[in-house]
Amino acid sequence: MVEAFAVASGKGGTGKTTATLALGMALAEEHDVTVVDADTGMANLLFHAGLADVDATLHDLLVDDADATVADATYERFGMRVVPCGTDLAAFAAADPARLRDVVAELAADADVLLLDSPATLGSKSAVLPVVLADRVVLVLNPTVPALSDGLKVQEYALSYDTGVAGVLFNRVRDPAAVENVRETGAGYFEGPVLGSVPEDDAAAAARRAGEPLLAHAPESEAATAFRDAAARLDVRPGDADDVAERFRRAVVPDEP
Amino acid sequence: MTPDGTPVFDRVVADAGEVLAAALDRSLTGTAVLEPGDAVLLDGEGRGVLGIRDGVPVAARHAGTGRTGADAVADLADAGPYRVTLYANPDGPADAGGAVDPAVPADLLASDVDLAARLREAAPADAGGPADSADAVEAFLADEETIAGIRERAREEAARRAEEWGFADATE
Repeated sequence: MVEAFAVASGKGGTGKTTATLALGMALAEEHDVTVVDADTGMANLLFHAGLADVDATLHDLLVDDADATVADATYERFGMRVVPCGTDLAAFAAADPARLRDVVAELAADADVLLLDSPATLGSKSAVLPVVLADRVVLVLNPTVPALSDGLKVQEYALSYDTGVAGVLFNRVRDPAAVENVRETGAGYFEGPVLGSVPEDDAAAAARRAGEPLLAHAPESEAATAFRDAAARLDVRPGDADDVAERFRRAVVPDEP
Repeated sequence: MTPDGTPVFDRVVADAGEVLAAALDRSLTGTAVLEPGDAVLLDGEGRGVLGIRDGVPVAARHAGTGRTGADAVADLADAGPYRVTLYANPDGPADAGGAVDPAVPADLLASDVDLAARLREAAPADAGGPADSADAVEAFLADEETIAGIRERAREEAARRAEEWGFADATE
């Protein structure tokens, strides 16, 4: 039984990768969690998860006649399975993002929760693909006008592709009053609940520098606590793994990155 | 010297516009290090550094000539292919030299008029300004007509692109 979430923002700088790993670690207390760096154009997750020096990454699974297996590029870290993406030129040039669907279909067999760390853009086919493939999106937003506007766009894309909205997670919050405004005035614009409000916290930057997820690096920090609360509000609705895998394999996907 | 931040992109690109567009699409904040192909022989002296905020180039410095701003960008022009490393650093670009007009790198390095226009448009008139405030968020959320328009346009765009991109099955 598995549910696939695309963790998406539509805009960079919202702390999406930090949020993906934090939700993953929190959900791993109760579920088998697999986290995939689905931003094949600009890898990031490997640096947050201490995987910068690994040999096999998602890129190696997306090439013609791949020698690597999904197991080779899957790393047991922090209580989760993590599939990082690489930053290397040759691997990126040879990678076909369309193969992501087959990789995710295979990963679905062994997970309760799949978190796809999605590109912070809607600018290309491959960037939108995780939103198309997922059951639901988690929108990671800052409570600012540009981020809310982009979040609404991602939501409409998701709904257009029959992908649900699991909720909105406000991150890097400097002004809690802005989040309250959204709760009171804007909650109706979003299809899912507000999962939480995570304060801007130096611990997140320190964790990134240390190459560890926030919940491993500073589990008692204010931000880590807020992420755990948000994960607890996320109602996981696992579907049949075979159905999910089949849906991924059937998805019509782009020819070009 | 390696800039602070997380390396998120490390590639040789024939067209520097590719990396400027990637940084813009993702609203990257950090530093881009561009090393022209022949600079490998110059022990890094031909390398240029761009400071980027919210996807928009804001500063430039050239290691070899010591020039900054638009001059530093000019020193890099016509020198591709480049090895480009992008470092994400939410704390902002550090030590990236003198201020540069947001569109200058796209103009000089990529001769890409459309990208230059997108970058100019994306550049904040007053960085960190009122769009971040609770009052601005409140005013935005109260404007139902604007929000309905954003959603409607996004739906139309998603449907149009589904057709273009072959996602049509997903929308049926």
